[in-house]
Amino acid sequence: MNLMRSISRPVAHFVICCFAMFSLSMPAAQAGMIGTDTVLSAEQRTADQAQLSQLLARADVTQKLVALGVNPADVQQRIAGLSDDELQTLAAQIDTLPAGGDALGVIVLIFLVLLFTDIMGFTNVFPFVKHGAARR
Amino acid sequence: MLPPLQLPDAVTVRPQTELTQTPFFPQRRYQCGPAALATALVASGVDITPDILTPEVYLPGRQGSLQLELLAATRRHGRIAYVLTPELPAVLAEVAAGHPVVVLQNLAFNWYPLWHYAVVIGFDLQARELILRSGTHDRITIPFDTFRHTWQRSGNWALLVLAPDQLPATADESRYVKAVAGLERAASLAAARTGYQTAAMHWPDSLAAQIGLANISYLQGDLAAAEYQYRALVARYPQQASLYNNLAQVLFERGRRAEALEMIRRAIEIGGPLIDSYRQTLQQFEAQ
Repeated sequence: MNLMRSISRPVAHFVICCFAMFSLSMPAAQAGMIGTDTVLSAEQRTADQAQLSQLLARADVTQKLVALGVNPADVQQRIAGLSDDELQTLAAQIDTLPAGGDALGVIVLIFLVLLFTDIMGFTNVFPFVKHGAARR
Repeated sequence: MLPPLQLPDAVTVRPQTELTQTPFFPQRRYQCGPAALATALVASGVDITPDILTPEVYLPGRQGSLQLELLAATRRHGRIAYVLTPELPAVLAEVAAGHPVVVLQNLAFNWYPLWHYAVVIGFDLQARELILRSGTHDRITIPFDTFRHTWQRSGNWALLVLAPDQLPATADESRYVKAVAGLERAASLAAARTGYQTAAMHWPDSLAAQIGLANISYLQGDLAAAEYQYRALVARYPQQASLYNNLAQVLFERGRRAEALEMIRRAIEIGGPLIDSYRQTLQQFEAQ
């Protein structure tokens, strides 16, 4: 049972990657029409390089989104609409990019520090703090 | 510590502005991304709620939403995701023009980040305050300088969600056309067409907008229109190789092989960074 569990995740990732690469391989044939955003960002790298790295980035992002808890059924839709550059960024930095969540969950230890800096106007964690002092 | 603000006239003539019609969706735990995006999407005329957006943008493993995923979701809903010039005057100018602005703030410190999306809906120049829909607060005011401290830590990230027939007040041609191209990629073709038309009307010399329009014709299967548009473009910009490539592809699909071969050879002759693509196009023609 444990073995099953430890195998199932990599297998799922592999299947998702295959699927992502397959679904990409059709429109990405670089012969033919050149998309508007490719014309706009016709940089130095060759079309072939861009195509390959995009393929890898797409598979990579797919796998990472699932690992971070996204429903596999939603993944394809979520990455549609990202440009090549955006996919590369996401592939490289999905664990470190800012993830806007909320203003809650501040641990008690730094409560006073934040309260002080809030009053000074450098931070804005607590909505009840009036920010008179920050005006220069 | 912060540089003084240089405000455009469009802002100073409306020293007190508040977009009171902007909807409000109180966020649930970690869900400020869906809430802020729903606020901006509804304000731009899309019928949507945060609950619909949660599976599209919320990332459970990060307990939050990433900026890039907000952009992608905006495009999928047929709206232009336009990232503003990273300056407070640009935000104020957009609000003065009636556009609510989604902003990413780090409410705490660089070493203890609390990332949070909010929507700027107004300002008061006298009081030097911004008005926001934020978290569970339908209306919260924060001083310019406090906002600038918290906003600076996100690289002053500000997102405009626009219907495709609208231009940002602070519109920049290449930024705008790139944002419209995002719609093309997200398969919102009708919206992309409107966006390119908006750009072409405002910047009649924008080659990118014209290419966009021709590509949309092609993607929508209107090959006759695509040929007409590309022929006009080739006549006007005879040194742009990618135009010949795309015209060749259109001609080939219309069954005019000889003309297509002539055009693709011209693209290869001119060359440029995409020459490998042109060669592949030629190979594809020759193989058929």
